[in-house]
Amino acid sequence: MISALSALALGLAILPAGAAEKPVALIIAQGGLGDQSYNDLAYSGFKKALAQDKLEGKAVESKDVVAQAADILRRASDAGFGLVVDLEYSHGDPLAAVAKDYPDTDYVILNQVKPGANVASILFQEQEGSYLAGALATLVAKDASIKGMSGKPVIGVIGGTKSVGIDKFIVGYIEGARAVDPNVEVKVAYSNNFGDPALGLQMAKAMFDGGANVVYQVAGGTGLGVIQAAKDAGKFAIGVDTDQDGVAPGAVLTSMIKRTDVAVETVMKDYAGHAFPGGKTVTLGLAQNGVGLSPMSHTKDKIPAATLAKVDDLKTKILSGEIKVWNAVDQGYPPFFK
Amino acid sequence: MMRALRPRVADGLGAAAPFVFALAIGAVVLFAAGFEPLSVYRLMIEEGFGGERRIAATLTASTPLLLTGLAAAIAFRSGVFNVGAEGCFYLGGLTAAVIGFSAPSWPSALVLGAGLGAAALIGGLWLLGPGLLRARLGVDEVVTTLMLNFIAVGITSWLVNGPLLARGSANSATPAIALNATLPRLLPPTTLHLGFAISLALVIAYGVWGRFTVGGFRSRLVGTNPRFARAVGIEPERVLVATMVVSGAVGGLAGAIHALGLVHRFVGGFSPGYGFTGIAIALLARNSALGVIVASILFGALSSAGASIQLFSNVPIEIVQILQGAVMVFATAKLGRLWRRAG
Repeated sequence: MISALSALALGLAILPAGAAEKPVALIIAQGGLGDQSYNDLAYSGFKKALAQDKLEGKAVESKDVVAQAADILRRASDAGFGLVVDLEYSHGDPLAAVAKDYPDTDYVILNQVKPGANVASILFQEQEGSYLAGALATLVAKDASIKGMSGKPVIGVIGGTKSVGIDKFIVGYIEGARAVDPNVEVKVAYSNNFGDPALGLQMAKAMFDGGANVVYQVAGGTGLGVIQAAKDAGKFAIGVDTDQDGVAPGAVLTSMIKRTDVAVETVMKDYAGHAFPGGKTVTLGLAQNGVGLSPMSHTKDKIPAATLAKVDDLKTKILSGEIKVWNAVDQGYPPFFK
Repeated sequence: MMRALRPRVADGLGAAAPFVFALAIGAVVLFAAGFEPLSVYRLMIEEGFGGERRIAATLTASTPLLLTGLAAAIAFRSGVFNVGAEGCFYLGGLTAAVIGFSAPSWPSALVLGAGLGAAALIGGLWLLGPGLLRARLGVDEVVTTLMLNFIAVGITSWLVNGPLLARGSANSATPAIALNATLPRLLPPTTLHLGFAISLALVIAYGVWGRFTVGGFRSRLVGTNPRFARAVGIEPERVLVATMVVSGAVGGLAGAIHALGLVHRFVGGFSPGYGFTGIAIALLARNSALGVIVASILFGALSSAGASIQLFSNVPIEIVQILQGAVMVFATAKLGRLWRRAG
């Protein structure tokens, strides 16, 4: 009975004779597909890669994704999937443990580094995108011709917690601000909470009242309050991770986007080309289009072309290697931010 | 003895019946969506029960449900409609995780005992208030326990995003528990852990208690006819408060077992609603121990198979959610008939 059912399951399994590589599984994180954010972005990269690289693949969603970490990972590995891309942050440790048992299967984890010869860890060079955000924020703050700006180089940033992972964004932001005006004042605060919009609102309001023109949020759900505060005060917020420009059109100057779609697409392409970066940490920065500023569809018209050109110029310099943005995770804290 | 057990077996079957109705509804939906219902169901059975690893995955998924189902059944049996197990689950999970990463040098038995015990204590204390309010002032426990869920989720979420956030983590998670605090795995490399055995034993103990002890008889009497209970010298208020506290303790324990046995830390989104699924399970089971076991395993199978069938078919997760929803509808429909009969 069981074996008959096994045969049936295999019959349904996607192992077409034509495909060169074993199929790819994508494990969707909490929040599921349709979140118009992290998961949807990664899934679009997944679908694109399936088409481009002629791979077969399936996405797996579960309401119980946190608890089913090892079970889903093992099932995919047992079932002959060659590559498992896991978007769920809490799967880091289970993934490292499962990967040990399946040396012939490749695994990908995002936003953290896990050991294993068949595990690729993907990190983003958030400091590079943050650098551009800091430069843009300072240039805009100094331009009194833009509605709501005081003309003084005062900006702010709110981090979700005092950790090196968050300070990586903040250090890049400050460095970018200082690159366009050495006298810039950057107000820094930590909400110590990633899920409290009311707190974000309050903290950002205090910053705007204190003279800040633009506040960058690196604080998850707390950051939604920062955006609301910018809208209320007639100032600018800067979004993070996904394109948050539409959250409050016109009040979000730009967003520092982490391109999870590019990450998934890149690693699947490597897999299809027999160049899977197993055991390596892949860092995606501006050069790989892994991070960057949003298209600014709601604010572009309000900003002088010269300002945008200046930011583009800085981007070119980062791409050419002329500017090397400080990475607080690798290099520790810089002299200008202790 | 056999006669005494017969209705329990019927309860077990009764708990499974709504699943059959739900599968029929699901078949219509699947067919309408262009799938072949029979082959999808065959795949689901294969993914839920086909072989040792899949059975283990199903039992792992059923572990938290056994206890949240038990927490609900204990309360419902005495006529207390406690819907607060979800909150206890969060609090218990966080408590156990904190103890689990704080005492890496303690002997394993001690840290496990402390983690499970403290979680049960917190869960029990959490529902003491609603118990007293209901017993003394007649405050509706559905409202108080439901509202306390939001508070518990809020408190734990604040703690795990702030003071208890793992260093360097940008996502809400505590540090991982130490090795000495993990409940041992029963069937490596599968995730089935000792928590399943503990949960199963507790549900069986509940069945024995309810059927063969004075306390169990009292609790049922208070549930079916509190006025009669009072007339024969039982204080319904005391039973009520005790029931609420025990139910909360089981909810807290469920969270602790989930943290120490499976997730190995507390993270944001710790429970996808185990406490609420537990309510459906108790309703399906009509509070019987066997019914709780059967319904938990079936819900566990739906959950584990629901995830892994997506590897082999294009059936979306939504179909599993439709099945779960339909089961719950049929579970309450059945309860409605019981109420009419009683009235």
